[in-house]
Amino acid sequence: MKIRERLMSYFKNRSFSFQRFFFESLKTLMAVLIAYLIAIIIIVFVSDNPSESIYWFIVGPFSNLMEFGELIKKAVPLMFAGIAACVIVKANQFNLFTEGAFYVGGLVAALIAIYIKLPAFLAVIAALVGGGLVATIFGYIPAKLKSSLNVNEFVSSIMLNFVALWIGVFLISNVVIDDASGDTATGIIPEISKLKVFITGTNITYGLLIVIGIIILVKIFFSKTLPGYEIKMTGDNQHFAKFSGINVERRVVMAQVLGIFIAGVGGAAEILSNYHRFNWKTLPGFGFDGFMVTIIAKNKPLFVPLAALFIGYLRAGADLMAFNSDVAQEVVAIIQGVIILLIASERFFSSSFFKRLLDNYKERRNHKRMDVMKNE
Amino acid sequence: MAEALIMMKDIRKVYYPDIVAINSATFSLFEGEIHAIAGENGAGKTTLMKILFGLEKADKGEVLFRGEKVFFHSPSDAMRKGIGMVHQHFMLLENMTVADNVVLGMEPKRKGLYDYKRACEITKDLGERFDMAIDPEIKISQLAVGLKQKVEIIKVLAREARIIILDEPTAVLTPQETKELFHQLKLLKKDNFTIIIITHKLREIKEICDRVTIMKSGNIEGTYDVDKISVEEISKKMVGYDFVVTEDKETLKPGEVILEVKNLSYERDGKKRLDDISFKIREKQILGVVGVEGNGQLELSGVLNGVIRNYEGDISLDGLSLKNKSILEIRDRGISYIPEDRMVDGANLIGNIYESAIVLKSRDKDYRKGKFLKKKKLSEFTDVLIDSYGVKCNNKYDQVKSLSGGNIQKIVSAREIVEARRILIANQPTRGIDIGAVMTLHEKLKELQSNNLGILLISSDLKEIYDLTESVIVLYEGKIVARIKNIKDVSEEQLGRYMLGIEVQEDMEASL
Ligand SMILES: Nc1ncnc2c1ncn2[C@@H]1O[C@H](COP(=O)(O)OP(=O)(O)OP(=O)(O)O)[C@@H](O)[C@H]1O
Ligand SMILES: [Mg+2]
Repeated sequence: MKIRERLMSYFKNRSFSFQRFFFESLKTLMAVLIAYLIAIIIIVFVSDNPSESIYWFIVGPFSNLMEFGELIKKAVPLMFAGIAACVIVKANQFNLFTEGAFYVGGLVAALIAIYIKLPAFLAVIAALVGGGLVATIFGYIPAKLKSSLNVNEFVSSIMLNFVALWIGVFLISNVVIDDASGDTATGIIPEISKLKVFITGTNITYGLLIVIGIIILVKIFFSKTLPGYEIKMTGDNQHFAKFSGINVERRVVMAQVLGIFIAGVGGAAEILSNYHRFNWKTLPGFGFDGFMVTIIAKNKPLFVPLAALFIGYLRAGADLMAFNSDVAQEVVAIIQGVIILLIASERFFSSSFFKRLLDNYKERRNHKRMDVMKNE
Repeated sequence: MAEALIMMKDIRKVYYPDIVAINSATFSLFEGEIHAIAGENGAGKTTLMKILFGLEKADKGEVLFRGEKVFFHSPSDAMRKGIGMVHQHFMLLENMTVADNVVLGMEPKRKGLYDYKRACEITKDLGERFDMAIDPEIKISQLAVGLKQKVEIIKVLAREARIIILDEPTAVLTPQETKELFHQLKLLKKDNFTIIIITHKLREIKEICDRVTIMKSGNIEGTYDVDKISVEEISKKMVGYDFVVTEDKETLKPGEVILEVKNLSYERDGKKRLDDISFKIREKQILGVVGVEGNGQLELSGVLNGVIRNYEGDISLDGLSLKNKSILEIRDRGISYIPEDRMVDGANLIGNIYESAIVLKSRDKDYRKGKFLKKKKLSEFTDVLIDSYGVKCNNKYDQVKSLSGGNIQKIVSAREIVEARRILIANQPTRGIDIGAVMTLHEKLKELQSNNLGILLISSDLKEIYDLTESVIVLYEGKIVARIKNIKDVSEEQLGRYMLGIEVQEDMEASL
């Protein structure tokens, strides 16, 4: 009882409103439901056996531990990419090199693991951090161009993605290629450098713990430190930040560098968890997904894992459906699109619908209170 | 008396989740009158008008229009009944022309296409009818505040409004512009327009209004005929206690020179914005800067706080040059700055009060441990700030956006005053603040003054200038056209002539 009261007063002091939280969540839930409804309608139309398709799509990911593990495995890189995008968007920047950073991070991690012999623990750390750092060196270019020359980071980072990709493809098809693989791929990543499975019976590796650690650090960074605070102010209102003496250029670069580093580590973790060799010949797409994840998470670090899990669930379901029935995975794209649209549109529900709902609720509550008072 | 044109009955408005903006208000408006609404910051004036204009929905109560119950779900409903509103913070599209803005959403068409010529004509006609000459083809971003306001008024007239709501129109105007506005309002009144005007300047109520409604913390204190109520009574009703306006300013003997500006010039877009400006500020001195808006005040404060760096001439603080120093370095040297635009430069509207309040303190070594902020100390600091400057809010985690205009200004001014160590540059520090809070703020400025600081007070409120300063410089087209040693020796009319550039002081002393 005491704890409850203290919790209440804590939230009250922080102006945390259960009502607001409730309605915000409800809004997201609505978006999800509407999107699913649309997806189901489509499935019913295109599938010869809709009930089975829908079963695999919705229930499939929970049908056994292995499938559930598959869901988590799909969510981990999305968490990395999501939290990376979150940091960047906090500064109101859109450096899409998170995409290239996944690629570069993965490649560099594989190379470090293959060519540098280190003792067990160090080998993993070196590969992860090395991947992150090299990605950061690339990512620094659009960030710096933005802050010094006001070059739009959105455009320059997209182009840089392809520069990074083609350098990588060149390397794995000419320089570090392992002919034994029968593929354009690097040599085999030694077991010692790999991220091990940490829940037996699934494919969930220590990558999950690493990303959760990073998310917590990001949360602390933004809520407790000066640079985090300054990045947020810069993102919210650059004029205000500038006039108050915040070094806007520096904060803008810092946010991008941090985000890119996290994405690079994410790429490294992905390769060290799930691949025997590095063989990516296209961009993995995670970086772009990260921005979607952070939009769904309302750019709040602690919601990033939830949003990533959700997208992971969608994709795991779609995979199972495609494998077990006659509906293609692309249904997922529709769902994602609808959800993003609904969540991103501020006015969806919030203003009219929920307010009316709330008004009704309040009116009834007031009546109830009156009744109680009368009775007393 | 005749039937009321508009009657708002038992209005109640609670902002989500539980901020009571209007407790219970009944307000009536007669046709053809100029009706003032006065009250402290956060009393609910803007909210009441937003409800009338259909921008906010009341939780309770009803609105009668000519005795008939109406429901305004949106401003377009209100406009259909001939109600128009000019907001406290303007809502114009900066990159479009005056004519574009005036006809926005009701563009005249010719052969199905936007008829720009016609738009210009409409703008021009309306301007001429009410003595508001303005070039319809000029871009909004090139207009001074006073003119922007005229565009807003023309915009409302173009929508055939018969009832015009003006939210603190004079807060941003110089005395001359205010006079012009009042002239136009009188013209409108003659044409049987009805006008509601929210203001904190009680003199103005006396000057042009017929009736005044006084609001206090969400309630209506009463509505009075202006002839039958004195300024003192109004202010007493507003704040709820007897209110003595202390106008004595201590004459402090200025000390050492702190800030010296030498031959400052600055050019932008091929036009001299500042032209050979020199002055000094000493310890214990408040130097006033007056001028019609857009005559170099913004540039002057920009140069002094480091936003503008490519100027000619030199500025030194305590003998050390400030040339090429960044905003942060200048702040670190002890200059504090209250920006003119509280909504953009002064505060983070989408953050909470705490975040906007601590932006300077967070760098202070005492308030952090390495890179980590000492949250508890910063929270206490914010609470003290809110308390001592009387910011009306639930708590420090309220969104800045949800505060009333005057309360946002209080936070910005308070934060900068607290942080000032050598010089405070105050650009319109009391704009939109109610009289009670203005007194508090003036006390704080005087406190700084007696603590050996220098203050540069840029204000379009001449009363504020007379109350606080002794020496004043007048800016006209970027030049100093008058240096006044003792403002008491110069009448407001004379000051006005300098400001308009009609007259240049003859034997301007070389320096103050
Ligand atoms: N959108 C909003 N959300 C929450 N609270 C709000 C919102 N708008 C206004 N308020 C609150 O309602 C109260 C009345 O605000 P209002 O803007 O009507 O004051 P005002 O009388 O116009 O003050 P001022 O003279 O400073 O402009 C204030 O306490 C304010 O914090
Ligand atoms: Mg207001």
